[in-house]
Amino acid sequence: MSCFARKELSKILHSIFTDYLPQIFAAGFKYTITLAIISFILGLIIALVTALVRISDKGGGFLIIKAIFRFYVWLFRSTPLLVQLFIVYFGLPYLKIPGLLPNGIKLAPFTAGIITFSLNTGAYASETIRAAIQSVPREQWEAAASIGMNRGKTLRRIILPQALKVSIPPLSNSFIGLVKDTSLAASITIVEMFEVSQQIAAENYQPLIMYSLVALVYALFCSVLSWLQGWLEKASSRHSKESEAEA
Amino acid sequence: MKITKVNKTFGNHQVLKNISLDFPAGKTTVLVGPSGSGKSTILRSLDLLERPESGNFDLDELHIDFSQKIKDADILTVRKKTGMVFQSYNLFPHFTVLQNVTEGPVQVLGKKKADAEAEAKQLLAKVGLADKADFYPETLSGGQAQRVAIARSLAMHPEYILLDEPTSALDPELEMEVLKVLLELAKEKQSLVIVTHNLAFARRVADKIVFVENGEILYDGDAGKFFAQDNDNQRIQDFLNSMSLASLD
Repeated sequence: MSCFARKELSKILHSIFTDYLPQIFAAGFKYTITLAIISFILGLIIALVTALVRISDKGGGFLIIKAIFRFYVWLFRSTPLLVQLFIVYFGLPYLKIPGLLPNGIKLAPFTAGIITFSLNTGAYASETIRAAIQSVPREQWEAAASIGMNRGKTLRRIILPQALKVSIPPLSNSFIGLVKDTSLAASITIVEMFEVSQQIAAENYQPLIMYSLVALVYALFCSVLSWLQGWLEKASSRHSKESEAEA
Repeated sequence: MKITKVNKTFGNHQVLKNISLDFPAGKTTVLVGPSGSGKSTILRSLDLLERPESGNFDLDELHIDFSQKIKDADILTVRKKTGMVFQSYNLFPHFTVLQNVTEGPVQVLGKKKADAEAEAKQLLAKVGLADKADFYPETLSGGQAQRVAIARSLAMHPEYILLDEPTSALDPELEMEVLKVLLELAKEKQSLVIVTHNLAFARRVADKIVFVENGEILYDGDAGKFFAQDNDNQRIQDFLNSMSLASLD
């Protein structure tokens, strides 16, 4: 290797550790992780409400509410996330209703991101939670009923704890997916870590290095989540551990 | 507790045909009969886990007309006064044995946790499982699980305990553990309603026998007479013979 090439390489390595990675991590903590965590928490709340509405056996006027939630899940599962982001950020300002919304709905990029990611995650996770609730045997409902528990208490104390345990792996999938999907936020002007790596690549003409670096950081974040999933699964199966110890 | 003129259909199959029965307090009533005869449906109706289309239910001052919508408060009253023990135990797997027993008293009766735990420990001792309080249901044998289920039911101080084939899922050895507990309860004048296929046990524990077939009651009365060899009801004699009671004597 020529002296020049070696010098060039060490310069790049130096920049990677003192400049590029710090910038990517800073954007990662400021936007990628905050977007993902806030959206996931809001998404879980939306998902739980949606799942409970959809499994409810209430009739009458409640059927309309059920239909609205069913429509919401259908809408967000049937359209691309990128398109949803564009509609919320670029489209809603043009939703002008005279008298009611004369100026449309103008959202800050971060707010638009949170709203879209939460609703998108909520739609998918609601199906996970609904299936998990329905996977708890009917007999658990009966056993709770026979000691006088009402439906709400049975859900809270007996059914949901068992259902949430079942849904840890699929919900972890959703969370990991969400972390990676936040890269789409670059398209609505949020300077998250993918956007940062694009900007650096435009300056230093090193797209391979920059995009590989950001890929590595995504992988790192997701690996932490996978580890967290394993820990959660273990913690939630306390009641099977003792049987292993006995066996 | 009694039911009068109760009818129940599943699809177009009528499982209960105008049934009237009373369940004397302080006594043990045993429902026997072939599989699919409707005896479990009768039992589950007593805890309102099944809702007959018509008929009446009376428990102390409470009156329920099955053809009307049942008020939530009435459902709660019935569920407090009756306790159900299921064939498949149906313990709460995410709770310890102790929590299984205290859940009802704390969450439904509003008892203090410490009081509920103290009583739960007594009840667990009573069913011979004092040392299992901190175990999870998954670690228990079937016989132990069913005894926890009985303790869970007892913790609510129900007037009646309803048992739906409580030992059908158990080996004979484990079955004995459960039957001993039930005999003890019967001796203490706890009102019991038991659906069982174990005629030897029925004979031992029952004050009153109800024989159900095809959704109808063929016998409703004294247990001694039911098992007497000179019972003149041919159908009952056939049933008893088919269960080869002779071999148990």
